[in-house]
Amino acid sequence: MTRYAMVMDQSRCIGCQSCTVACRTWNELPIDIIYNPVVSEGVQGEFPNVHQTFTPLICMHCDNPPCTICCPCKASQQDEDGIVWVEASKCMACKACVNSCPYGARDLSAYDEFLHSYVRKCNFCKDRVREGEQPYCVATCHQKARIFGDLDDPDSEVSQLINKYKVERIFPELGTDPQVYYIPDLGGVR
Amino acid sequence: MSHGGNNKLEKHYWVWPIAIYLFLGGLGGGTLFVAGIFDILYGAQIPQFGSIFALGVFFGVVFLGVGSFLLVFELGQPLVFLRVFLSGTAILKYGASLLILAMGFALIYSVFYLPAEWNLFYYGWTWLRQLCCVCMMVAGLGVCVYTGVFLASMKAKAFWNTPALPVLFTVSAISTASAFLAAIAGAWPMPAELALPAAGAAIESHALVEPLVENLHFIDSILVIAEIIVLLVYVLMMRAAGNTTAKAVALKWIQGGYALLFWGGMIFCGLLVPFLCYQIGGAAATFVAPVLVLAAGLLLRFMVVFSDQRRAIPGEERFYARLPKGNERFLKGWSKPY
Repeated sequence: MTRYAMVMDQSRCIGCQSCTVACRTWNELPIDIIYNPVVSEGVQGEFPNVHQTFTPLICMHCDNPPCTICCPCKASQQDEDGIVWVEASKCMACKACVNSCPYGARDLSAYDEFLHSYVRKCNFCKDRVREGEQPYCVATCHQKARIFGDLDDPDSEVSQLINKYKVERIFPELGTDPQVYYIPDLGGVR
Repeated sequence: MSHGGNNKLEKHYWVWPIAIYLFLGGLGGGTLFVAGIFDILYGAQIPQFGSIFALGVFFGVVFLGVGSFLLVFELGQPLVFLRVFLSGTAILKYGASLLILAMGFALIYSVFYLPAEWNLFYYGWTWLRQLCCVCMMVAGLGVCVYTGVFLASMKAKAFWNTPALPVLFTVSAISTASAFLAAIAGAWPMPAELALPAAGAAIESHALVEPLVENLHFIDSILVIAEIIVLLVYVLMMRAAGNTTAKAVALKWIQGGYALLFWGGMIFCGLLVPFLCYQIGGAAATFVAPVLVLAAGLLLRFMVVFSDQRRAIPGEERFYARLPKGNERFLKGWSKPY
């Protein structure tokens, strides 16, 4: 079996937003849609002891995704390898999934054609991944802060990183079992 | 249809059509439920008892129909709507199914009370009327509960994701329905006399309507007080024990931007004043109370639907706050349709 997951190494991320731009370009996203923003709370601390942490966001491709459960049309679906995606032609855009996602990973564009608006989200570039390539944001990250791979393969880089470091997940208490793991910039083991 | 620009944290994905849909769903479903209960209680003694609420039931169908239209109107791809019944896990599928069942059974039920001089062939099919009565009652209650469960199932929404919301919506739905039925009881097509099971016996229908309306006013008085309690418990619990986002929203209700609407509009004008009107009786109970109760029901749905804040991931607020604003017209002109 394959279970795709992503590790975000926050100690490497410099907040350049290359992944954000790459994603928009590869997926030809409308101007108001962002799948993977890199957010930060800004500079923390007092000079000279200051630091800034960047948090690259993306759909968490949860193991227990609230978005697919609430989709009445079966447009939001999860494949066996864990990738959560939306089949546009089946989506009636009721926005139940948008409202149920705790990570804000789904959105609709205001620039879609009238009566042809549907929910968009990251799909881990599944077409690329299934041809053996990396998602475009991962391939673009020159800092190697985004690491993608198969969690069921103990030799994969993601498995080894998750085993090696004390990783964090966003809102795990909600029971969604998110599959994007963060190696924190501060407070981590390294 | 959504409001709020590019800032995902401020964007309202469900807006006025959903608020009205939730209100009409509750009102329509509650109407079928309350009318059905009365028919079951008194229908055995007075076979034509249901004619007192027949127009109310018909309006219940209309409310559900208009609500359903708004639900479809709000979709991004309305033509895909028929896929709504495909998933076994989606609350929306069960809601849509209940809406259709409630409308269907209630329509058949209300047709039984068309004037006797129309001589429609199915008047004698009492079993069908009773079956429809029970089914519309169950489906109607289901719609009332569903409107709350629908919102409460949204895991991301701190202020919605609580079992208190379906309770509040159900109490409000049955309260608005009782007020509506009290206002419309005894209207056309109720005949002047209702036949009793004993041969040749009949009872003047208006003699029945007056105590019935008083009963409904009494029931609504209790429901209004119950709604105040549930509403206060809901909002104050969110303030005391919710997460930071839920607390912020509750604070907005209690002493922020929604405070006037909440305390003045909903609690005082929408619930306390109708309760007093019911105690005073007369024109106040007949005309003022139903209007205020219905307005409070609608206001409640609007306030809840627009309290849809999502808990922000650290740094998200700063990110979205820094996106350009006010350039929507330019972007719309510049963007090709995708």
